[in-house]
Amino acid sequence: MGGVILFIFYGSILFFIIATALRVRRCVNAPIHLHWELYKGGSIYELTEWWTKTHSTSGKKFWFMILDILFLREFYYRNRRFWYPLYVFHIGLYLLILWHAWLFIRAVVGDIETVSIFGWIWGTFSTLLTFIGGIAILIMRMRDEELKVYYPPIHYLKWIFLLLTLVGGVYAVDVHFKSSMPALLKYVREQVTFSDFERKLHPAFGPALHILFASVWLVYLPFSHLFQLFFRYYHYLRWDDVPNIRGSEMERRIKEHLERPATWSALHIQSGKRWREIASELQQTSLTESK
Amino acid sequence: MTTEKKKIRLKDISIHTEEPLLTVTADDLMPLPPPLDQREKKAPYSPLSKDQKKSYECSLDGVSALALPKPKSKEEEEKLVERFIKGLEKLLSQNDNWLFWQPLIQSLESCVRCQTCSDACPVYVSSGNQEIYRPTYKSEILRRIINKYIKKRRKILSKLTGDDIELNWPTVARLAELAYRCSLCRRCAQRCPLGSDNGLIGRELRKLFSQEMGIAPKELHDSGTIQQLRVGASTGISSAAFQGMVEFMEDEIEEKWGKRIKIPVDKEGADILLIHNSGEFMSWIENPVAFVIIFEASGLSWTLSSEIYGYEATNYGTWYDDVQFARIAIKQVEVARKLKVKKMVMAECGHAHKGLIVIADRILVDEMNFPSESFLPLLEDLILHDRLKLDPQKNNFPVTLHDPCNVVRLMGIVEPQRRILKKICPQFREMEPHGVENYCCGGGSGFAIMNSMNFKEWRENISSRMKLKQILETFNDVLDPGIRKYVCAPCSNCKGAIRDILSSNDLWEKHSIYYGGLVELVANAMVDMKKPFIDWEWH
Repeated sequence: MGGVILFIFYGSILFFIIATALRVRRCVNAPIHLHWELYKGGSIYELTEWWTKTHSTSGKKFWFMILDILFLREFYYRNRRFWYPLYVFHIGLYLLILWHAWLFIRAVVGDIETVSIFGWIWGTFSTLLTFIGGIAILIMRMRDEELKVYYPPIHYLKWIFLLLTLVGGVYAVDVHFKSSMPALLKYVREQVTFSDFERKLHPAFGPALHILFASVWLVYLPFSHLFQLFFRYYHYLRWDDVPNIRGSEMERRIKEHLERPATWSALHIQSGKRWREIASELQQTSLTESK
Repeated sequence: MTTEKKKIRLKDISIHTEEPLLTVTADDLMPLPPPLDQREKKAPYSPLSKDQKKSYECSLDGVSALALPKPKSKEEEEKLVERFIKGLEKLLSQNDNWLFWQPLIQSLESCVRCQTCSDACPVYVSSGNQEIYRPTYKSEILRRIINKYIKKRRKILSKLTGDDIELNWPTVARLAELAYRCSLCRRCAQRCPLGSDNGLIGRELRKLFSQEMGIAPKELHDSGTIQQLRVGASTGISSAAFQGMVEFMEDEIEEKWGKRIKIPVDKEGADILLIHNSGEFMSWIENPVAFVIIFEASGLSWTLSSEIYGYEATNYGTWYDDVQFARIAIKQVEVARKLKVKKMVMAECGHAHKGLIVIADRILVDEMNFPSESFLPLLEDLILHDRLKLDPQKNNFPVTLHDPCNVVRLMGIVEPQRRILKKICPQFREMEPHGVENYCCGGGSGFAIMNSMNFKEWRENISSRMKLKQILETFNDVLDPGIRKYVCAPCSNCKGAIRDILSSNDLWEKHSIYYGGLVELVANAMVDMKKPFIDWEWH
């Protein structure tokens, strides 16, 4: 059993890395899409001969991303009622992720025995925030008539599982390790340095359960909305205000796409020809087929 | 007494029923402010006749935008469902749908079902929050159909993920109509905290129906893009007819401006090729006339084109079909290249702005990548640099501005039109909300020209209702018919939709609320006009 848990844990880390790489690859290799932009305010098109003006949005894009991720600003302005529990949940989650990163570093850097009580407070406080936010979101989505119609059963199972993971974490830290940060850090050090395999093969219930839960989340993360948010900003998805300039890399990619065959079947398409051909030839067909 | 309506669920989309899934009633509708608050309640649209119901699909809400004939046999139904699945596969394929694959997938995958977008949708709110008009309704159904029929999730997982929608003919027919209950204003996408674009999902559905199944509204396809590619304009105006209109415009100019001029047509090497929505020549000739006066008074080097495709800015493909869209954009650019002009300038047509200047940007390569811009920054330059002699007192009446979605939210041209109006209209007042938060006129994405069966009634009483409410609220302190008011709508389709709501509610006759474009106000303010340019005659 211990071997299985060990395999799941390290396997899930490997899975996380591979799945993330594949997701990023899918996004990077996606065909360039047409210029389908939305604007929050004025754009370069407010200027005469806009194509002669400098056009840069990357700084703005980065700033939007930081504000969005840190403060869930879009939710704050668009859906305040939903923002309160969501923000409590997310701020807890961010702190919890940082706490885990700190645990991994602190476990191998410096003297474990001298660790401050602040480490325990940080972890507990983050867990509490995440739990309160999570339970509030769950209740809201179960009770709100408008929301519950669109959530399938698996959505609720996901949230329940998340809350169980948090409870599992509290059990491991406060029951198994008796709220002792040195004991916890010692355990983390064993994981990070791949030492004490005997204990790994016969893990105690508390840490084993938490590791199992964490592994499931590692497998899920590359498919989560957090990743969608990342792609939205980094791959010209929403704030994609980049014009096509003659001789540019973008133009080269578009030309490649124009050589693809158009495969759609309606009569007026002239299926089978290349995009370049069907767009530039005057077609003689035909009215809507249903008439 | 009103009876509680049955809550419509996602899976109701597939039920077989003789009656529509929903009929919007007078009691459902969002209330309107004075003076329309006291008006007798009336159903927003008439039921279809028995014969129409027998022949055409109307099982969504009792409205028919598509005039989609009912299949004659079970086999025909199955064949159509098969074609829908094939189209859906293509929509989700990078190869087949490279033009919109990435934002479509992003929109399908990133929605967290928070429903933040719902209240942003004018159709959903105006109809009294009808579930089928919720921006996420069609998207969630499509998402579940994809999971079940394209990703082929197993039964247990299917139960857990809620993918229990049956894909049958009623589902396909209702989705086809549902794609034409959203005006693609993309206010919901602007509102979405995660960037999911339900407007795009609606457009992609329209595309699937057109490009794979040959199903599209007659006004957009047969007498729209097909006609434009055949004769040069979606209004059917031929090159000869256009030249006749130019002569008529010269007479009009002489009458209003007191000067006989020769309008430049097909002038090779001019700086600017100005392209109008040809609907202006048919319905609002004063708009192109005003452009001529302003451009000539400013001494610009410019021309119109009488060449086939050169006198029509519209491109209905923008709303429903990538192939038709590309074909038309290319034809328009070819005209500009042939004339050797320096740039194309789009006149008052919103979707032509978005279509040619923004979207087509990534279809046109090499020499076809031709400079094009909006008339708005150019007009602003002329006015703010005093190229025209203007007297704002000539426009001393309440004026408000309708923001065409395509120009403002979808293109980011927000301030030039405001700076112009503030300079030439002393009583300019904003609608609320405005700018990138504006509401659609209700005629967007082709609705303004779609008049199949009872669709026009649906548009006027549901889709345009929010705009009507905004106009009334903006002018609530000057409703006195003795005070003439002007709704400035710098877009041909918006103008058509606004004309219809003002007319069907007698707002010109009873409250002197008039409408028109932006250049008409500029021409009206010119000091050397022989007659007032705006004649306040309803048309």
